[in-house]
Amino acid sequence: MSGETLRYLGSRLVTTAFIVLGAMLLLFLLPAFVPGDPATSLLGPQASPEYAKRFIAEMGLDQPLHIRLVRFFGNALTGNLGTDVVSGRSVASLVWAVLPYTFALTFAAIALAVLIGVPLGIYAATHRGTRVDTVLAFVSVAFIAIPSFVIAIFLLIVFSVWLNWLPVLGVSKSGAFLDEVSRMILPTIALSLGWIGFIARLVRTSMLETMGENFIRTARAYGISERMITYKYALKNACIPTIAVLGLGIGRLLGGAVLVEIVFARPGLGRLIYDAISLRNYPVVQGAVLVVVVLFAVVNLLVDLSYSAIDPRIRRDGGSGQAA
Amino acid sequence: MTHSIDSKANDREPINSLSVDRRKFIVGTAGVSLAALIESNSAAFAQAKPSITVRIDRDLASLDPGYRTGPMDGNVIRSVFQRLMKQKPGSAELELDAASDVKQTTPTTIEFTLKPGQMFSDGYGEMTAEDVKFSFERIGLPPAAGGKESPYKGDWVLLEKVEVTGKYTGRIVLTKPRANLFDVALADVSGCIAPKKAVEERGAEFATKPVGSGPYVVASLEKQRGAVLKRHAGYAGAKPAFDEITIRFISDPKTTELALRSGELDFAILSPATAEPLKSVATLKIAEEPSIAYLWIGMNVEKAPLNDVRVRRAIRLGLDVDQMLLAGYNGKAPRLNTLLPPQILGHWKDAPVYKRNVAEAKQLLADAGVKDLKLKLLVLNQPVFQNMALVARALLQEVGITLEVDAQEGATYWASGKGDPAKNLDLFLMRFNGKHDPNFIMQWFVASQIGNWNWQRWKNDDFDALFTQAASELDKAKRADLVVKAQKLMDESAAFIWLTNEMNAIVHQSWMKPSGVPGWLDWQYDNFGKTS
Repeated sequence: MSGETLRYLGSRLVTTAFIVLGAMLLLFLLPAFVPGDPATSLLGPQASPEYAKRFIAEMGLDQPLHIRLVRFFGNALTGNLGTDVVSGRSVASLVWAVLPYTFALTFAAIALAVLIGVPLGIYAATHRGTRVDTVLAFVSVAFIAIPSFVIAIFLLIVFSVWLNWLPVLGVSKSGAFLDEVSRMILPTIALSLGWIGFIARLVRTSMLETMGENFIRTARAYGISERMITYKYALKNACIPTIAVLGLGIGRLLGGAVLVEIVFARPGLGRLIYDAISLRNYPVVQGAVLVVVVLFAVVNLLVDLSYSAIDPRIRRDGGSGQAA
Repeated sequence: MTHSIDSKANDREPINSLSVDRRKFIVGTAGVSLAALIESNSAAFAQAKPSITVRIDRDLASLDPGYRTGPMDGNVIRSVFQRLMKQKPGSAELELDAASDVKQTTPTTIEFTLKPGQMFSDGYGEMTAEDVKFSFERIGLPPAAGGKESPYKGDWVLLEKVEVTGKYTGRIVLTKPRANLFDVALADVSGCIAPKKAVEERGAEFATKPVGSGPYVVASLEKQRGAVLKRHAGYAGAKPAFDEITIRFISDPKTTELALRSGELDFAILSPATAEPLKSVATLKIAEEPSIAYLWIGMNVEKAPLNDVRVRRAIRLGLDVDQMLLAGYNGKAPRLNTLLPPQILGHWKDAPVYKRNVAEAKQLLADAGVKDLKLKLLVLNQPVFQNMALVARALLQEVGITLEVDAQEGATYWASGKGDPAKNLDLFLMRFNGKHDPNFIMQWFVASQIGNWNWQRWKNDDFDALFTQAASELDKAKRADLVVKAQKLMDESAAFIWLTNEMNAIVHQSWMKPSGVPGWLDWQYDNFGKTS
C-alpha cells in the first residue's frame, strides 16, 4: 500500500470516527430533548409513581448529565450498548437478533437494483431519444415516486392473495432456507423498485455526460469500437456517482426500511428503532441507532475507498471527492 | 351481544353478468370440480392441522408474570403457567386450575390445596405450596434488598403473607377484606405460579425462558417475530387441541387482513372496519363482540372556566356522541353512557343518555358568564380519535366554543396528564383497557390518582369512600349498588363524556375456533379448538 493510499485511508478513518462520535453525542442528548415520559409509555397505568421513578433510575435518566455522558461513551466505546429495561435483555442481543434480517433485505434489494437498474440505464443512454428511452424514463420516475409501502401492499394483493404464489408474511416460521428465500422475494422487490428507477436514471445521465467528454471523442477518433467505449470508458466513469449513491442507499436501508418491514411483518433494525422510539425506550433507541450509524459510516468508508480505487485522481486530491 | 357472520363468496357478482356458452360451461365445471377438490382437501388438511398461527398487534417483551408489559404478554403467560383458579372457556366465571380446593375461610383468609402431580417443564419438578407462596409474594410484597419491585404490585394489594401449611396446602392472608382478589390476582396473570428454583436460577432470563406447569411451553421467543408455543407433555390437565401455536407480531392491520385471506394466519382481532372486507371470504368467520376497553372525553375540573360545572354541562350537551362514533368507528361501536360497560358488575343500566341540545348548552354558557370560549382537546394521533375530535370541534363551534384539536403521538400524549403540565390540560380523549372488575376500572378516578392517571383532576370524597367500600364488599349485590352510586357521582360532575366501549371483530379460519374471556382482551390459547 502506497503512502498516498495510507494517508487517504487515514483521513477517511478520522472523518468516520468524528461522524460516529458526533452521532453518539446527539444520541446521548436525545432523551433530554424529546418530549414524552418513558416510564408512562412503557409501563402503562398499572405502575405506581414510585415504581415509575425506580424505572427511570434503572434507565439511568435520574443521574446528572455529566455522569450519564461519561457512562454512555464509556459503555459504547467498549461495545456495551446497554440493557433494555423492559425485557432485561441486552440491547446488543436485540440488535444481533434482527441484524441478519436487515442485512439480507438491504443487500438483496441493492443487488437487485444494481442488476436491473444499471443495464436499464446503459440501454437508455445508448438508445437516447428512442421510444424505449421514453418508456424507461416514465417507468423509472414512477418507480421512484411510488412509496415502497404502497408497492409492498400492491405486491401482496397480487402475488399473495390473488395468485397465491408467494407468502404474505416476510419471515419463515420454520426457518428453512428455501422458505426464508421465498418470503424475501416480495420485500426485496418492494424495496428495490425505487432504487432500480433511481439507478437507471443516474447511470443514464452519468453515461450521457461521459459520452460527451473529450476523451470519448478521442477514443472514437482512434477507431475504438463503440462497445468498448460504452462499457470500458463511459460505464467506468459513470460508476463513480452510482457507487456513491449505492453507499448512501445501503446506509438508508439499514435503518430506513421500516415501512416495508412493518407491511411484511419482518424483523429489522428500522422496525426495532421505530418501536423503541414510540415507547421512548431510550437504551434500545440509542444502541440500535448507534449500530446503524457505525454501519453507515463503514459502508461509506468502503465506498470512498472503492471509487478512489476506480479513479486514483480522487485519492490524489486529498479526498476532496471531486474527480478531475 | 354476539353474532357470527358466515361469509359468502361472490356476493358481489352481478347476476346479469352471467352468459354461458358450451366452452365456458366446460371450463367452469372443471374449475368448480377442481375448487371443490381443493376445498375438500384443504378442509381435510385443516382438520388434521396440528398447529395454528395467531396475530398479536404488540410485540412480546416479558413472559415473567411479575414483569409483563401488557395483555399480549399476559395471554402467553396464562397458557404457560397455571393459577389456583382460572376463567372457564369463553367466560369470566372461575373454575379450579392448579388447586383442587380454594375457599375463603374468613374475610381476610383464603385457604388452598394444590392438586398433586403438577409438573413444571424443563425438569423443575412438582408444584408445591412453597412455589405458590414465592410467586404471590414476589409480586405483592416489597422485594428483598436489591430486588426489583413488580409493576403489578397493585394486583396483590392488601396481601400480608402466604403461609405454607403443607406440601400442597397453604393460606393467603390479607390485611383487609378484598372483593376483587379472585378476579384481579388469583385468576389473572399475577396469580400465575412459577417454580422458585427456576426463577432464582434463570434470573433476568426467566422473562424470555419462562418455566411453568401450564398447557404450553415457550419453544422460542424472538424480538419482532413473536413466539412459538409447544404443548407441554407434562401438563396434568386436559390436552389442548393444538400441538403448536405460532404467535406472530404483525403491527399492520392491512397485512393481517391479507395474511388471513391467504390462510397464513388463523386468528386475529381487528376493528370492525378493518374486518369488513373479510366478510366476503368464504374460509373465514367473523364474530363481533363488545370490548371492555372504554373511551371518554375528560375535562380538567381545576382549570377555569372548566371548573364551573355549567360549562362542563354545556360541553356535554353540545356534543353528539352518536355522530362522533359514526365518524370514528363507522357507527360500529356501542355507545357507552357510564363508566362501566354492560359486561362489568355494577354497570349502571339506567344511566342518562344525553342528547345534543345546542340552545340549552348556550344558555348554560351564558349563565356561567362565558363568552368566546377557546379550548384545546388532546387526542392520540390515530385516525379513530382524530376523526371523533374533528366532529367534536364542528359540534362545539355551533355552541360558540372554539376547539383546537391537539393530536400527539403516544409517548407525548401519555405524558401530558402527569405532574404540573397536567394542570394546563383542557379536554382530552382517553381510552383505557378494562378488566372484569369494577374497582379495577374505577381506580383511576380517585383523588390519589390526580397528577398520575386522574387527568380530570376530579376530587370527590364520596366517590373515594364508595370506591374503598366496594373494594372490600364481598356481597356482589351490595357491591354493585355501591359502584352504581359512584358512577352517579361521576355523572353529576359532568367531567366525563362517555363515548364507547368499542367493538372487537374476532376473525378466524372457519375450521378452528378461538376462545377468550368476554371483551377479548384475555385470550385462552389452551382452549383454542377445531370445529367439529
